[in-house]
Amino acid sequence: MMLPAWIRNRWVIVPAILAISIVLWNSYVTAHNGGLVEGSVIDAAGRPVPGATVTLFERSFVAYTSKDTTKADDAGLFRFTNNQNHALQLEAASPILGKSDRHSIRLWFRAQNFRLVEPLRLAGR
Amino acid sequence: MRTKPLSIVLRHGALVIVCFIMLVPFYWVIKTSITNENIYAYPPRLLPEAPHLFNYVDVWYFIPFARYLLNSVIVSAIAVAGNVVFNAMAAYALTKHFVGKQSVMLLFLSCMLVPFQATIIPAYLITAKLGLLNTYLGLALPLMSTIVCIFIYKAAFEAVPQSLIDAARVDGLKERQVILRILMPLSKPAVATNVILAFIWSWNAFLWPLIITREPIMQTLPLGLARFLSYLEDTTGALYAFAVMVLAPSIFVFLMAQKEFIRGLTSGATKG
Repeated sequence: MMLPAWIRNRWVIVPAILAISIVLWNSYVTAHNGGLVEGSVIDAAGRPVPGATVTLFERSFVAYTSKDTTKADDAGLFRFTNNQNHALQLEAASPILGKSDRHSIRLWFRAQNFRLVEPLRLAGR
Repeated sequence: MRTKPLSIVLRHGALVIVCFIMLVPFYWVIKTSITNENIYAYPPRLLPEAPHLFNYVDVWYFIPFARYLLNSVIVSAIAVAGNVVFNAMAAYALTKHFVGKQSVMLLFLSCMLVPFQATIIPAYLITAKLGLLNTYLGLALPLMSTIVCIFIYKAAFEAVPQSLIDAARVDGLKERQVILRILMPLSKPAVATNVILAFIWSWNAFLWPLIITREPIMQTLPLGLARFLSYLEDTTGALYAFAVMVLAPSIFVFLMAQKEFIRGLTSGATKG
């Protein structure tokens, strides 16, 4: 079946493709913007560190500022549930094992659900 | 007469080199926008290293980009509509013979010599008197008719055979209908040129929006770019990403209508 000529016009096709792309992208964003950030904390030997304090830093225009903290559970897992930013840093700390390096996270949109693949490693600093 | 293959190759080779030279700045802006490279680094890298799109995400969220985009779209739409309508009316009048036509033409041509910066204070005062400061209509007002575009319309209208217009009149069409039903459909390249030029000029306008906007929420993209620069002056990648996002819609409109645009600019330039 041949489409009408006005539909086969580039002034219709290109904006329509753009509009569909925008709708699809926004649907994806809506389905994945729960503000969830999770990961795990390990020590230098790779063992989980229960009770480690994990700090979430949010990026403002010029610097990262501390936004929230949480504790790792018995398996060394941590979770933030209300992240609203797109540029973050995570840092773990323990009174005995010291601090980890800050891990930078760049998200594609605000509050994107994110699971940290590489654990935060307490280096004993 | 057949063109020799060698001359075709040479001609196309020269055109490719010229295209390359003209596109290098665009490539460099896009390349910098997808990296965090220092633009003053020496030796410069031709290919981007570790490219990413997060600078675009930063631009979208650190300033109200969507609002600026909406403002620019509304202002440009008003300016484009104004140009298409008012310029056509003015051009149609100039295709007629009337007393003082040469003086009017001379006045128009003279006004083209006066830069907008010189008339910006009267323009501001008139806009203020009309109560249009800090409004979309006020932002678009000085761009709603441009002399260059009037002459583009005039050239296109004069190319339409007089017999066609006379026939339309015999059929009972009034002046307004002659413009709408006869001249405008036969002057599509001129319409496209008006649309593109009006869009690009209103989209890139900086000084006028800077003067008449009172609230950040009414600012357009070029003003947002300046504001963004003041916030993130050390982040070249994000700044270039913003520049790409500001330029993209006007380049998009140009690419969509380039055939009509070129035809519109060259119509009337040759006879026969």
